Amino acid sequence: MSTPAAPAVTSPISTGMPPQRIARMRRATFFSFVGLGTIVGTWLMYVYLSERGMRWSEWGLLAVFTPLYYQLNVGFWTALFGLWLMNRPGHDALDLWRTLKPEDHQEAITASTAIIMPVFNEDVTRVFEGLRSIYLSLEQTGHSKNFDFFILSDSNQTSQWIEEEAAWLELCRQLNAFGRIFYRKRRKPINRKSGNVSDFCRRWGKRYRYMLVLDADSLMSGGLITSMTRIMEKNTGIGILQTFPKQIGAETLLGRVMQFAQALYGPPFMAGLDYWQCGEANFWGHNAIIRLEPFIKFCALPALPGKEPFGGHILSHDFVEAALMRKAGWAVRLLPTNRGSYEEGPPTLVDMLKRDRRWCQGNMQHFWLVFAKGWHPMSRVNFIHGILSYASSLLWFFFLLFTTFLAATPVPQLDPQAMQAQQILLGLTATLIFLPKTATLLDEVFTGRLFKPLKMRLLTFMSSMADTVVFTLMAPVLMIFHSQFVVYTVLGKGVRWVTQRRKAEGVDWAEVFFTFWVVCLIGIVWAILGWFVSHAFLLWISPILIALFLAIPMAIVVSGKRSGHCFGFFLTTEETEPPSVLATMNDNLAEIKGRIHLPPELEKHHGLMQVCLDPYVNGLHVSLLRRRKSIDVSRSYLNEIAQRMIQLGPQSLNAQEIKAMIHDTETVTDLHYRLWSARDHELAPFWATAIRQYNLAASSPFTHTLAQRDLL
Amino acid sequence: MEAVNIQFAPETGTEEEWNEAYARLADYFRSYQLHNRIRRTQLILETLRRAAAAHKTDTKKTPTAHSIEQARFMLKEWLGAIYSDMNLNESQLEAGGRLGFHLSGGPARWPNFFLDKENLPQDMIEAMRSAVRASGPGMQVSKMTPRDIDLGRVSEVAEDTFDTLGRHPILRYSILIGIVGAVLTYLYLLFR
Repeated sequence: MSTPAAPAVTSPISTGMPPQRIARMRRATFFSFVGLGTIVGTWLMYVYLSERGMRWSEWGLLAVFTPLYYQLNVGFWTALFGLWLMNRPGHDALDLWRTLKPEDHQEAITASTAIIMPVFNEDVTRVFEGLRSIYLSLEQTGHSKNFDFFILSDSNQTSQWIEEEAAWLELCRQLNAFGRIFYRKRRKPINRKSGNVSDFCRRWGKRYRYMLVLDADSLMSGGLITSMTRIMEKNTGIGILQTFPKQIGAETLLGRVMQFAQALYGPPFMAGLDYWQCGEANFWGHNAIIRLEPFIKFCALPALPGKEPFGGHILSHDFVEAALMRKAGWAVRLLPTNRGSYEEGPPTLVDMLKRDRRWCQGNMQHFWLVFAKGWHPMSRVNFIHGILSYASSLLWFFFLLFTTFLAATPVPQLDPQAMQAQQILLGLTATLIFLPKTATLLDEVFTGRLFKPLKMRLLTFMSSMADTVVFTLMAPVLMIFHSQFVVYTVLGKGVRWVTQRRKAEGVDWAEVFFTFWVVCLIGIVWAILGWFVSHAFLLWISPILIALFLAIPMAIVVSGKRSGHCFGFFLTTEETEPPSVLATMNDNLAEIKGRIHLPPELEKHHGLMQVCLDPYVNGLHVSLLRRRKSIDVSRSYLNEIAQRMIQLGPQSLNAQEIKAMIHDTETVTDLHYRLWSARDHELAPFWATAIRQYNLAASSPFTHTLAQRDLL
Repeated sequence: MEAVNIQFAPETGTEEEWNEAYARLADYFRSYQLHNRIRRTQLILETLRRAAAAHKTDTKKTPTAHSIEQARFMLKEWLGAIYSDMNLNESQLEAGGRLGFHLSGGPARWPNFFLDKENLPQDMIEAMRSAVRASGPGMQVSKMTPRDIDLGRVSEVAEDTFDTLGRHPILRYSILIGIVGAVLTYLYLLFR
């Protein structure tokens, strides 16, 4: 690394921070529209409900309706402002891209930047092939000299850990990138991902001016990375610059629909968000660049009062870090980008719900922070919106319950004014829901932002119609689950930190059935209740009840791989014209996928098998282990479990025992020789097979999880 | 390495045991990615010869165990000669040395000099010595200390309430049951 520490910056500089005058004007405009829409909607609802005076249940309905309508208005106006920004002839005064002149792109980048990727039991192949593509893409820019890469591992599965080490070494070897790509494994994953990043900041933060944070499934082009660094250099008042990560790599119907929807509707929403968030945008945890000095100084996260799930360690750290950065005086900006920043989404509905469960708890935790002192008001708004994104499901559920109750206790003869209010409200709500989508679609059909050929634009139009069906069927099911998550969080049921599954491995029918049968039951019971309440009411609520009733088949269909790809449905530009960074990764992943695999038992414990049998992997692991003067457990205990593993195989040991063994340099070295020294009948069948098959399957032990490419 | 005598007639141990030791050594040296079969065979026979001598003095250990032990001795001697002045302890010498051989491309470039401490090509020594890697750049430690966030009055009240509810799950569930009961009672009164 040639460039030393960042220059001392003790107070924020205004470049990059939008002028207060513009920010205030934009927010006043935006929230006036939102406020007006909410007030009109609430007033119409009040007129409709108060025909014969307000009952308790009607007040309840109005109470849950108001925040729901506010949220609907925020989405509506964000999209509309975004569309206006995308189509207006003049430039956006706050456009960060305009701060770069054409000649700036040729100038050398002198700022030192660490590109970090925190990982936790992730797919090793995907992590390192993604990193390889980013590295190569950055090299192609010719400005990669001051960028270093860090894989920050918190993996607690032994095999995963060893495979990461082997992949790191091989990647460095193939790319000739020793001293450019670093691997660090934490012994104790304190405070999860935010703790992992903080640990990096404490150890190496001073060496770098910027830190670009990636997720395990992130992919970014070198061009965008260098541009982001240049923007940060030009705009010294920006603390965090967040890009819009587009979804890629989806194979299931759900994944492709989400990917398509994000590609089509995402840009106007991002432009709209940038319009009113100005210098108080959010950080989403990855695909963003951070100015390290203020981050280290001001963004360390304190624990929240009380115990988990509401208190304790902050789960959704990104929102809080953005708020802390803004509180310290630096801008947090959103950089609307169409290409160059990518991530992957959950493949199945069950995976999506597992992810939402974590996010829900994280966002609900922010409740504490809403009332904290010193925040910028927009940071509070961001927290509230985060909470509402999940709490609104519970509100919608209550809204439907109140509606059912009101239908069961009808007020006779509606007067014309109330009827009129009801009809206007219905029309207005439908407009708020469907107009952004329709307008975005029309924008695409007329401008061809995604696709130029007319046929593709028509296919986009049809795909958009089809995604409406999928989202209509999914929304009520998500409502039930999100409501449950909110209630569980309030009742104190926490979540475990689990690895997100990012690739489809087929539909698990049993899992789907046991996850969704309750939702089906709710739909049936509600329908029976509705039948007795009123047939007209049943008809009105039937779209929701049908979706609940069909939850199981819907979950199976959307989690399957039939997604209409062959008919041209849900296509995105990343699928039709993959950028080079994505194409490189896909080629390498395809090469690995086509290989002959070891027997499943050996594949399952492949990393462990390698560290025990392979002299080079064993040497690598021992070299990377930090030597300790004293060990946590006795030598005789380690010998005993090592013996058990030799005689009975790895399945006879629990994760803790394997971990204890694999953390000790002496035991790992000793194990290697003990295994090779044992006669066949002294070995567990696992090891006997492994010794026989290891050399046959592995032409190079280090390329098991990595593509075999020529050295650079 | 001196010319290997092809004749191998151990005085102790059975033929089956020595055959098993041979097969294990073959697998072991293959795991070093030594694709030169002649060199592998040379190494196997040399190791077996040493193992046979060792087995004569200690028959409690199996020929397989003796063979791997001898292979380890040979490796240590060889690495000791290469890294003689680098002040490495035994564990570092073995682990780092093996890794150094791999990273320098040793299995492909110098297979005939593997474990041959009498003939050490200078370029191999230099490549292996320079291949000692570190897993990260030198640390420059920073302080990253969390600052307390003043959560304000509302949060204090909420915290106390949640704390109380958290400590008394019975109270928490009683409140929940109370709310559900009140709703059901209200519904009953309306519909009766």
